[in-house]
Amino acid sequence: MNTKHLRTLTIVLALSLLASCAPRAATPTAEPNGASSPANLILGAYTTPREAYGELIPLFAAQWKDKAGQEVTFEESYLGSGAQSRAIVEGFEADVAALSLDGDIRKIADAGLITHDWHTPPYNGMVSTSIVSFAVRKGNPENIHDWADLAKPGLKILTPDPKTSGGAQWNILALYGAALRGQVEGIPAGDEAAAIEFLKSVLTNVIALDKGARESITNFETGNGDVAITYENEILVGQEAGQDYELIIPKSTILIENPVAVVDEYVDQHGTREVAEAFVRFLFSKEAQEIFAKHGLRSLDAEVVEATRAQYPPVTDLFTIGDQFGGWAEAGPKFFGDTGIYSRAITQVQAP
Amino acid sequence: MTTAAPTLTSRKTTRPAPWGRWALKSAAFSYLAVLLVIPLIVIFRDGLSEGVGGLWQAISLPIAWSALKLTLWTSAVMAVINAVMGTMTAYVLVRYTFPGKSVLNAVVDLPLAIPTLVTGVMLVLLYGPQSLIGGWFQDQFGWGIIFARPGIVLALLFINYPFVVRAVQPVLENFERDAEEAAATLGAGSLTIFWRVTLPALWLPIASGALLSFARAIGEFGSIVIVSGNLPLRTQTAAVYLLGEVESANRQGASAMSIVMLSLAFGLVLFVDWLRQRGQQEPAP
Repeated sequence: MNTKHLRTLTIVLALSLLASCAPRAATPTAEPNGASSPANLILGAYTTPREAYGELIPLFAAQWKDKAGQEVTFEESYLGSGAQSRAIVEGFEADVAALSLDGDIRKIADAGLITHDWHTPPYNGMVSTSIVSFAVRKGNPENIHDWADLAKPGLKILTPDPKTSGGAQWNILALYGAALRGQVEGIPAGDEAAAIEFLKSVLTNVIALDKGARESITNFETGNGDVAITYENEILVGQEAGQDYELIIPKSTILIENPVAVVDEYVDQHGTREVAEAFVRFLFSKEAQEIFAKHGLRSLDAEVVEATRAQYPPVTDLFTIGDQFGGWAEAGPKFFGDTGIYSRAITQVQAP
Repeated sequence: MTTAAPTLTSRKTTRPAPWGRWALKSAAFSYLAVLLVIPLIVIFRDGLSEGVGGLWQAISLPIAWSALKLTLWTSAVMAVINAVMGTMTAYVLVRYTFPGKSVLNAVVDLPLAIPTLVTGVMLVLLYGPQSLIGGWFQDQFGWGIIFARPGIVLALLFINYPFVVRAVQPVLENFERDAEEAAATLGAGSLTIFWRVTLPALWLPIASGALLSFARAIGEFGSIVIVSGNLPLRTQTAAVYLLGEVESANRQGASAMSIVMLSLAFGLVLFVDWLRQRGQQEPAP
């Protein structure tokens, strides 16, 4: 009895250890589709535009049926941007990749799966934008209005882990960029050392680094933390769902640009190139851009921007990854590599 | 122990024909190979692709090293508490009768069936900074439970609850009470009897239960990722660190940490096995 029981437990233990150690890889297979038989598109997306795609997909399917006379069904997968990018590289056969940041599309291209240049008009390959902003408790009890307020001693901050989350990387760059541009009180413009010190004083206040942007805001909704640094659209979607936290837009912040691309290797395998490209083109249409705007994302279409100005007030000092940091290829390693600015800062701050 | 420990094999059963035996054996071995051995070989090859030096370098990074240390000491604290409380629980379940005993007995195994993620969520709701209990602790003592180290120990205690109880319980059930009665006749108090007579017979199941729970704790992820807060160098455990390395495509670092965790856990399991065999061979005192 004793021996038997311990044996069972040993086995359970061995299995759970394996389960926790083995790298995961999702590899659903899809049937190849002819042009006239029903098509199936696999969408590999990051987590935050889930609600928008929920509305976009049926609309596209109806239009495609009218235009091409073909039924199209979708399989949708939503993961943290970095995780989704890795899954696609490791064999998750997504026809279309819609991710949080350009660097994650680049990883798929580097693996040889995207062979065309995805930085195409109308918006250089970007399909939606957002900004880094803050969620605060109802009535803003901690009186948070700008980046400088986040360094107040004792404040409890939530932001995701840049190791696993694209959103987290945007957050860090927004904070650092604002400081470097002289937009944070007490930090002279262009003073890197002072910007790093400011980054550290904010990181000191972080109480949890969740896996992804969605997990982080959910944690905030549970009641933890005084402020969550996150995408503006996460806060708007949460408010729409009945959450009573408030949105604070800092004076200076980064424009989050979300790319979308057809994955050449997989569409050719599946025979879905035509419908996949049509879907991506559809996402740039005014109609689709309005739906993104409805679900908290800032549109790229000039007319839609004009029409939604009340909901999305312009930011006083808005900067981009390109003009402030020279693009993701440069910013990625500089900030989040093993000896990057963020990696060193978090190590110094959290050292017991 | 006066009773012989039960053995798993029985010599009286009819044996299958030679080819049947052979088929059975090869099926069992291939299952073992496919399920356990081959994945283990793959991860070891990956982690050692840059030699032992590379593995050491990956593990000795401050963040990795502190994650490993945190995992080991929180698991150790859990194992000690688990040994004491688990033994007590088993003692109560075997020696006393009370209403609801069978229900309590069934509840003991519950942590094995609850997804560990759910465990994490439950603990955050109960002990989180915004909860009554968590808030009280914060106000009274100035330290938090959730997003802090006590939360990690708490989660580990929860998920490993059955290990010591279930190891001690059957031994206690088969325990011959002659010696205890003799001691009582000689005038020993009940506490002395427990310390000098009962406990010495239980050290083996207590140790093996505690060590197995320790081994399981090393790899625990689901509940920890929710309760720990995941701050590098402070509340990030080895398993959560591992996820970060996997997600940021640092495969070698991830494999290196996997190897260390696997080796520790496997070493413990082997040690427990050795302890148990030694215990069974020992002549009755």
